[in-house]
Amino acid sequence: MSEGWAEVWRMGLRSRGFVIGGVVTLIFILIAVSALIWTPYPVAEIVVSRRFQGISAAHWLGTDQFGRDLVSLLMAGAVNSVAVAIVAVGLGMGIGVPLGALAAARQGWLDEIVMRANDFAFAFPALLSAVMITALAGPGAVNSIIAIGIFNIPVFARLTRGAALVVWKREFILAARVSGKGPLRISVEHVLPNIASVLIVQATIQFALAILAEAGLSYLGLGTQPPQPSWGKMLNEAQTLMFLAPQLAIFPGMAIALTVLGLNLFGDGLRDVLDPRLRRER
Amino acid sequence: MTLLAIENLCVELDGPDGTLRLLDDVNLFLSKGRCLGLVGESGCGKSMTALAIMGLLPRGMRASGRILLEGEDLLSIGEDRLCGLRGRKMAMVFQEPMTALNPVVPIGRQVAEGLRLHLGLTRHEAELRAGKMLARVGLPVERFPLGLFPHQLSGGQRQRVVIAMALTCGPDLLVADEPTTALDVTVQAQILDLIAELVEEFDMGLVLITHDLGVVAESTDTMSVMYAGKVVEDGPTDEVFQRMAHPYTRGLFAAMPSHSSDLDATRKRLTTIPGRVPDASSRPSGCPFVARCSFATDQCSDAPPPLERLAHRHSASCFNLSRVEGL
Repeated sequence: MSEGWAEVWRMGLRSRGFVIGGVVTLIFILIAVSALIWTPYPVAEIVVSRRFQGISAAHWLGTDQFGRDLVSLLMAGAVNSVAVAIVAVGLGMGIGVPLGALAAARQGWLDEIVMRANDFAFAFPALLSAVMITALAGPGAVNSIIAIGIFNIPVFARLTRGAALVVWKREFILAARVSGKGPLRISVEHVLPNIASVLIVQATIQFALAILAEAGLSYLGLGTQPPQPSWGKMLNEAQTLMFLAPQLAIFPGMAIALTVLGLNLFGDGLRDVLDPRLRRER
Repeated sequence: MTLLAIENLCVELDGPDGTLRLLDDVNLFLSKGRCLGLVGESGCGKSMTALAIMGLLPRGMRASGRILLEGEDLLSIGEDRLCGLRGRKMAMVFQEPMTALNPVVPIGRQVAEGLRLHLGLTRHEAELRAGKMLARVGLPVERFPLGLFPHQLSGGQRQRVVIAMALTCGPDLLVADEPTTALDVTVQAQILDLIAELVEEFDMGLVLITHDLGVVAESTDTMSVMYAGKVVEDGPTDEVFQRMAHPYTRGLFAAMPSHSSDLDATRKRLTTIPGRVPDASSRPSGCPFVARCSFATDQCSDAPPPLERLAHRHSASCFNLSRVEGL
């Protein structure tokens, strides 16, 4: 495996999107991880006397209407975004990939059922349905994660099935069957390793979408609830204060945009690197 | 001792325009330690027979008749039992070593997987034996570490890996589906020699599928000539080569370049068999070869000729055997 990854790494360094996206993503994740241990100020510390401060040495990005440090809030919000995205994408992959692999391996009526259920899920706009689910189940971080996760399932199920069907037609699968392996074993040992690159790329892109979706839900007040910090909620609160303290809206907005942009660039670059057929000529 | 006996094997496929019969009443017989050659042009059902033996016919195809492996009917024992037999009792070598190996799994693991699955060995034991097996087929671990990937090997080396994969669990029956077609000529002979050696060493039975009569002459004991899903002639290889009773067998031989004549003057022009194998959907009601046969009479298009016995174990299905042989 080591040689293969060295090759991927070498190709990656030549792709601009991969490098820029990778660096942005890495910074974002580092910020989230460091926020678990350290933030400049306690996140929930309300000091009304220092509210609406501008950019200063003590408060790098200023403070909000309750005197909370904006840098600390953004860092804690990053943790929230990462956590939601990881769990949501993990939920989508954890259920969607086995479903898709099973549909491809078994085919027949099982395939039909899984794919028609997929079509059903696809028929609803994801974010709108997430709004509906959180509205029904009550707002909150956990419910929003589940809502976003559910709409990741069909994405991964369909992708896995399509890619797996192509692999199932290849001769080494026949060779594996000849050596006495059942469909389950072949799926795990032969099919999944061959479609891993496609899944990784999709996971990166879904990760970005999940962050966006969480921000959207929180902005609508259906996602993360106070006092838990969240980028979407910060935007919502800043809305009424736009003219008084525009930086309260600008910085969380920039955080969301940069992170999603970085992840998308990274995903696109990763696809170029992992899939030679899509590699662009330069 | 009988290893493999195929009795009245028919394979049918339900299509939109009725049922297609892809294999029609195929009978084959193979003893332990022997090699059976299955000859015929593309689309005559050779590979289909191999897949039927393995129980891996594509979806929608039905097989009837009996396939007895050491007395056990493979068509009636069910998928679970078949999974236990594949790889352990019977194995297969494929035509294309480039595609028969998983590109993202190291060769050592691909060879070892069968051992872990069938013999329940630990990873370490299995890799040790996989290394020995690879050394036996000519890929010693010192020069070809187990961590190599298929793309790092040449075609011949990959075919050796495929053979090692097939043989790790010591199967009794090996089906080789055109094992040398994708290889270049110098490597072909090496691979055939290797297979022959291993068949003897492991006391297996070999079903060798090929369209190369030179290969058949060199390495098989008995042979069956297939045409349009039927066995048209079978018998001991040397006898079939001598008599060539069926017109189709004759055509195959005439289409083979010969090395025997040194002088250009005595060298005969290569002949071809006119036309092509009829589709499974448009086979004539009589002899399937009738449209391409120079001996054909009215009788041939009326009913299929029965398999007629010519000698102790040699038989052919043709109405005009005497006229063909008189030539």
